Amino acid sequence: MRHQSDRLGLAFLTPALIFVVLFFLSPVVLTAVFSFTTMSTATGISGGTYRITPSAVRSAAEKGLNPATAERLSQERYTIDDDALTRATKAGIDAEILKELERDLKGKSTDDRRSFERLLKKLDNRPNRRQVKSISPHFRTSILNQSFEDRTTLDATLENLGLDAAERARVAETSYTGWIWTSANFRRMFLQPDTYRILINTIVYVFTTLVIFNTGYAMVLAIVTFYLPGRQATVYRTIWFLPRITPPVIYVLLWKWLAWDTGFISTITGWFGVASRNWMLDTSLNAWVFVVLINGFVGASMGMIIFSSAIKTIPESLFHASAVDGAYRWQQVRHIILPQLRWPILFLTTYQTLSLLSSFELIFLATNGGPGSATEVWSLAAFHLALSNYAGNLQYGLGAAFALILVLIGITASLFYLRLFKFSEMISKPRIEH
Amino acid sequence: MNTKLLSRFLGIAAAIVFALPAAQAAEMTIVVWSGGTGVNSNYRVDAIEIAADLYQREQAILGNDITIKVEKEIYSDWEPFKQAFTLAAEANTAPHIAVTGHEDIAPWATAGLIRPIEDFVDLDAWPLNDIYDNLIEIASYEGVVYAIPQDAESRPFFFWIDYLKEIGYSDADIAGLPAKVAAGEYTLYDVLDDAKKIQDKGLVEPGYGFYPRVSNGPDYWQFYQSFGGVMQDPESRKLVLDKGAMTRTYQFFVDAVAMGVTRKNHIGTPWDQWYSEVASGKAGLWHGGTWHYNRYTTREGLEGFFDKIQFSLIPSGGDGGRANTVTHPLVYVLTNQGDDEVAEVAAQLIKIASEPRINSLHAIKSAHLAISKQQSNIELYSGDRWAREATTRLLPNANAMPNHTDFGEYWTVMWKGLESAWTGQKTPEQAVGDVATELGNSLGDAIIIR
Repeated sequence: MRHQSDRLGLAFLTPALIFVVLFFLSPVVLTAVFSFTTMSTATGISGGTYRITPSAVRSAAEKGLNPATAERLSQERYTIDDDALTRATKAGIDAEILKELERDLKGKSTDDRRSFERLLKKLDNRPNRRQVKSISPHFRTSILNQSFEDRTTLDATLENLGLDAAERARVAETSYTGWIWTSANFRRMFLQPDTYRILINTIVYVFTTLVIFNTGYAMVLAIVTFYLPGRQATVYRTIWFLPRITPPVIYVLLWKWLAWDTGFISTITGWFGVASRNWMLDTSLNAWVFVVLINGFVGASMGMIIFSSAIKTIPESLFHASAVDGAYRWQQVRHIILPQLRWPILFLTTYQTLSLLSSFELIFLATNGGPGSATEVWSLAAFHLALSNYAGNLQYGLGAAFALILVLIGITASLFYLRLFKFSEMISKPRIEH
Repeated sequence: MNTKLLSRFLGIAAAIVFALPAAQAAEMTIVVWSGGTGVNSNYRVDAIEIAADLYQREQAILGNDITIKVEKEIYSDWEPFKQAFTLAAEANTAPHIAVTGHEDIAPWATAGLIRPIEDFVDLDAWPLNDIYDNLIEIASYEGVVYAIPQDAESRPFFFWIDYLKEIGYSDADIAGLPAKVAAGEYTLYDVLDDAKKIQDKGLVEPGYGFYPRVSNGPDYWQFYQSFGGVMQDPESRKLVLDKGAMTRTYQFFVDAVAMGVTRKNHIGTPWDQWYSEVASGKAGLWHGGTWHYNRYTTREGLEGFFDKIQFSLIPSGGDGGRANTVTHPLVYVLTNQGDDEVAEVAAQLIKIASEPRINSLHAIKSAHLAISKQQSNIELYSGDRWAREATTRLLPNANAMPNHTDFGEYWTVMWKGLESAWTGQKTPEQAVGDVATELGNSLGDAIIIR
């Protein structure tokens, strides 16, 4: 019987487990994997090839490749010889064209593709454009700008050209276009001067928004609405809920209208002779005030609802009894309401810390981290690095390393809160049942 | 009907039936995306559609009945476009043709997201053989021609003529200003002085004397070059960070803020607001791009452009610097999407879209410059005063950003540094120090820091 109920429990849990694996564990694992790679726009995600570009040869030469070999590798050459003619014949190139090439141009070389193709275009059996393009690869006798799908093919080709193992390794290293495993992302992150700035920004942002709005102001709203008559309280709560239900883009646009040079604040202050300015981006302090307000107004509504529900669960008799004893409102708040709210405060603090740490969409829309990276927080930095920047240089590896640190900070913060609020005591079984 | 005749008839009928699918028009869809493309730049993608129509007609004459459907998508900004393209290409859902900045060629080619267009087109044949050599060079990477230039432009410095007169410039002074700038006799610090004079006379509001671009862009490399900076070492092809030149560049904007001629919080000003302000005389001196001409004279309603605005190269920063302008051609790239047959058609469409007459539609409508010599024989182009003057005054001194896989990273870090100095988060020295540290850590040997 017990065995069956265990299985039933597992069955009930399965959808949740699948969700956790798909939408939590796998992104975290992938982030961790990405963070130990050099993945970027240029390396691609799916792997690379070995391409012998002039730059690759130059950097191999800097790393000790014999200068004569480097010189040889960096030359382009197209030659009409027996080998090439045989290759072309095998590939099914028009025999008449090849015959003419052999008869008139055998032994001739050019040092770039364009000149070689010009030769082809002068033949009596003039090949058309598509034929020209299909003929030339067979006559290429250099490997410059050629791609090799794997190391074995590259090695074989380089060996034919007389490169020894050490030289081959150098060329392979500098010509590989894909990503490689590395721990350099973390080193870069810690050495980068801006990282500390971003860290401090994040701490300031999370702490200020959390304390002032998401818990503090939410508590004030919950208590005030608790003492308000029913209908007024509902209206008040609804108004405070608007920021949360307004689509973020529109919500932030309203703030921008309020703040920018020709916006509401500038118009009003203009009547008093204050020069118009972009109030949101005027100084870093301004930007921070707006960032905290924009996020805080959204965050406060959630806290308000949770605290309000928690206060409603407090038996009314306690309030009546305290009123009979002559308690003021403040004393009721201090001695009845607050002690009952420890659990919701723990939940909200933990939840909102994680939420503030990882959500950046409102900052992205409002200041995009500006002015001058003043409001660039950790998650926004990860987003900018990995997925969105003006130059289109998406550094998946470094961005993932930033994101991974965020995961670690989140887990650490949660554990800290659980200890701070003595979570284990709260969930321990009531002694009365023992 | 005897049996022989019947069997022959059936044979012919069968042949017709089987031949039908072959005779039916082949259909192909070519998808083209374009980044950083505003409403007046519609010909970046529409040119492909016009090309498809011509291509179909040419093929029909050759007996190939092919129908090409062109699907177009325009992105007005760069970030979402580059993100969308890169991720789509990784997921094999990229367009067949993309119109992007030439600086994307290096990383996209290295990642195998684009094909070298020289594998599909004859660069010695019309109209590609008429394209300016330097533009073909800008569309190449590691000696391979990867893309075909879609447009050309340059980024001039602008002066509001009436205000120059108010601070003592004669008509002859104003007419000679571009030459003085080109000769290095009028420098960026003269810009700040004049901006201050204009402001002090109450002609523009404080902070509007010198009114630069409001966001990151190739423009800021011009100032680095004005102060003697180079982006790439011509010998080793490595990127170069010249700390002295970069410090002077950052210092220039910090000085502009300190003098009160540029706002400390200028970066991030909405573009619409900026355009309307510079086109209506709310700013004294500023810089922009050749395509701004179109915006000022159409959407912003500026009349008599040449009487109201003088333009020149970006002035030199002084000793060791030079007056310059950066050209940032967009290019048609042929992506790795689809098989070789699709790529072949897409490449031919790019080729046809580069015809002088078709390209001139884009050049004149969006106020960009020509890609090929023969466009000066197209009346639409040659009759346009702006195209003509901008070409002769600016293009001879234009250079482009390097095509280098790591340039994007350099660019991002350089801009971050400038922003932090401009907004007062760091001193120019600190900012450049941090830029050097960050680039040293990330790019190592790939960049020369001096």
